[in-house]
Amino acid sequence: MERDTAGRPSEATVLGLDNVPLELPIAGPGSRSLAAFLDYLVVGIGVFAWGALCLAVSTLGKQTGWWMLALFLVGFFFIEYGYFAAVEIAREGQTFGKWAIGLRVVTREAARPGPAAFLIRNAIRSVDLLVGVPLMALDPLSRRLGDRLAGTLVVYEHAAAREMVLRRTPSGWSAQEAALLEAFLWRAPEMEPWRAERLARQLIECIRHDDPALAAEMDPSLGPVDALGGLAKSA
Amino acid sequence: MDYARFVRLRSPIWDQFESRLSAAQKEPRRLGHADLESVALAYRQILHDHALAASRFPGTGAARRLGALALRGTHWLHWDRGDRVPGLRQFFAETFPRTFRAHLAPLAVAVSLFMTAFAFGACLAVVQPGIGLAILGPHAIEGLRQGHLWTESLVSTVPPVVSSSGIATNNMSVALAGWAGGAVLGLGSLYVILLNGFLLGAVLATTVHYGLLGAMLEFVSAHGPLEITLILVSAAGGLSLGQALVAAEDLPRRLVLRRASRGALVLLVGCLPWFVVLGIVEAVVSPAPTVPPPLKAALGLGLEACFLVLAWNPLLPAER
Repeated sequence: MERDTAGRPSEATVLGLDNVPLELPIAGPGSRSLAAFLDYLVVGIGVFAWGALCLAVSTLGKQTGWWMLALFLVGFFFIEYGYFAAVEIAREGQTFGKWAIGLRVVTREAARPGPAAFLIRNAIRSVDLLVGVPLMALDPLSRRLGDRLAGTLVVYEHAAAREMVLRRTPSGWSAQEAALLEAFLWRAPEMEPWRAERLARQLIECIRHDDPALAAEMDPSLGPVDALGGLAKSA
Repeated sequence: MDYARFVRLRSPIWDQFESRLSAAQKEPRRLGHADLESVALAYRQILHDHALAASRFPGTGAARRLGALALRGTHWLHWDRGDRVPGLRQFFAETFPRTFRAHLAPLAVAVSLFMTAFAFGACLAVVQPGIGLAILGPHAIEGLRQGHLWTESLVSTVPPVVSSSGIATNNMSVALAGWAGGAVLGLGSLYVILLNGFLLGAVLATTVHYGLLGAMLEFVSAHGPLEITLILVSAAGGLSLGQALVAAEDLPRRLVLRRASRGALVLLVGCLPWFVVLGIVEAVVSPAPTVPPPLKAALGLGLEACFLVLAWNPLLPAER
């Protein structure tokens, strides 16, 4: 659990069932701004598509043209003001931009917000376009004005299954050493192959030193990175 | 227990919880009582494993995975029931009237400020006629000189259907701005109230200057009273937001903000449908020369009375 300098749980910690502390992975202003940018692209495309549809139908006649203009104005208003709230309500706190970046809106207690919270945080959006980013930058929980009024937070939604979890570790290894090996295996695919192999050989040497029996069980036909990866799979 | 043993012993439970949660998220309606109980039980085990991993094995993949699973479970199993949406009938018969009654104080402040700004705008336009030119523009002033209101163009340039939608969406935008402006310590709501009061006072005084007050009152009589009322009610919601931000009483600010924002939202949602009605009236009835002025005035008063009766709901007993 992350703690402040006085040893208290940080503001991003909530107490779950049985008072188990949960650390909320708060999304910062950068990722939230990027998600908002993607959402405004969606809004722009939506307005353009609605306009094109109205224009296409309006070619049927002059009277139809006026009706389509009226419908375009109403549709424009609803897309502009309704997109964020409607999509967040329908997708339980994820607009398409948030989904693309891996963010989700939750309550201050990490629960699912109700429709009122989504409506409030998005009705304030026009004001937040002016003051939202500085407010998020100054707040430890990165809340904009709408979040404060609605009692919501935006958090990263990690895909739990993608985490690298070792099922076997050399005897006597601490959690920190296991975490280091997991971090290596997680990052190895992004490294230059020669660098990854060199680090893997060093780690295998450490394992051979600490637990020769485990090192002997590693498949010698595999490359050093794959041999280490076997520790995450083996039972 | 060492880390690897912990992972080997407990990971089947984590995998099972994750697959059950994913299935439940995909098709919540197919979830039976027994399934829900088993998810809830597994959630509790996940929380306990997460607590153990966070303290004994911090920074490991298992600790991160359990943290993510615990958050997913918390998000799916816990729902803020305080934000339950009432049905339409309950909303307009009970929720909206109760909220309206609870907001009489900020509404009184909004009306007082509006009237003050109205008087100020009217006085300023009387002593300084150039104000009317600055607000309405030279084209409208030229029309007034010739005895025509600029509002006549509402139906002469585009059909009423276009004017209606334009007016309705514009009025809703103003109401939303007045409401959302409350989040800036109430300053935005104050701005909308004072600006609307000032503009109405100055415009009416300008029409007096050109001897067209009667025509102007005829134009605004059908939609004006309710339009101003709706903007003031929305802005009153904004003022209550501002008040919660500035002075949070004895309660924690979080709770005061939550209460104020929910109340203000109810006021706004209760007002928005009326703007659609007003858009039609303002584009179709108000500029129509064929509709006699007394009928327009009666319609305006009728709409105002309808809104106030529905907003107050005399049949609803007072809250103890």
